[in-house]
Amino acid sequence: MIAQLRVDDRLIHGQVALVWTKELNTPGIIVANDNAASNDMVQMTLKMATPTGKKLLIRSVDDAIRVFNNPKAKTMRIFALTNNVTDALKIAQAVPDIDGINVANVGRFAEDAKNAHQLSSTIMLTDVELASLKELAALDVPVFNQVVPSNAKTPITSLLKNVDN
Amino acid sequence: MVSILIASHGKFASGLKSSVEILTGMGDRLTTIDAYLDKHDYTKDIKDFIATAQRPAIIFTDLLGGSVNQQVVLAAAHQKDIYIVTQMNLAIILAVLLDSEPFSVSHLDELIAQSQVTRVKLSKQTPDEDVQDFFR
Repeated sequence: MIAQLRVDDRLIHGQVALVWTKELNTPGIIVANDNAASNDMVQMTLKMATPTGKKLLIRSVDDAIRVFNNPKAKTMRIFALTNNVTDALKIAQAVPDIDGINVANVGRFAEDAKNAHQLSSTIMLTDVELASLKELAALDVPVFNQVVPSNAKTPITSLLKNVDN
Repeated sequence: MVSILIASHGKFASGLKSSVEILTGMGDRLTTIDAYLDKHDYTKDIKDFIATAQRPAIIFTDLLGGSVNQQVVLAAAHQKDIYIVTQMNLAIILAVLLDSEPFSVSHLDELIAQSQVTRVKLSKQTPDEDVQDFFR
């Protein structure tokens, strides 16, 4: 089961590798990202960031969904990562067993950042991403923002109030 | 919970605290000394930490042989349950801060051994894990 699906534009990095895998007690990390799945350099940096003793799979979003729905995934706590909301929505619509979705860091390095909708200091969304987030928030799974475990969980619905509809 | 003081020449200590805060939100667990930015007598701050910090406590310093480390050694070397670690880096501070095992000197030495500076070796051979291995 997915203990947490995290949206983070840096995928695996310091916060994720060190803090969250400990906090969530997840032996397995799955990165669901089409670019990472086809780019050797990106895969190398992600492997470098994976803590010793944790297992890592890097898959395209479609392949990752098949892994999440593998019967063996039922008994393993998995930490899943995407780098955008639209990929997370695709997973949430196709995978029934997700404890929570953490929209943590997203969109801050996008090229058209000046046209972005700012939901919080760590969430900047394009029109497409904002539409995906609204769909995500309507699903029957908790969706929240929590950058590090010592932050409170802020429900996404309350952050969506920060942008015009 | 281990008490932690980090002490450096200039802003390395407060800079490490800033990095720790961004990575973990746990910056407030660290006491820092940025020495020699002004004429302030930082040895008093070392003594204050020793006098008030819960034990066990670890004092990290920037450089073996540097004067900050010397002052820490002079003040803390004979204190019970205070340990001095020098040549500090971000990795060791995070390792100690996020550690969940009960404190012991041998475990501290393990964390130190895992936190060394390392040359990044790029290897093209990164065999893809298969799903069978992942779930094993």
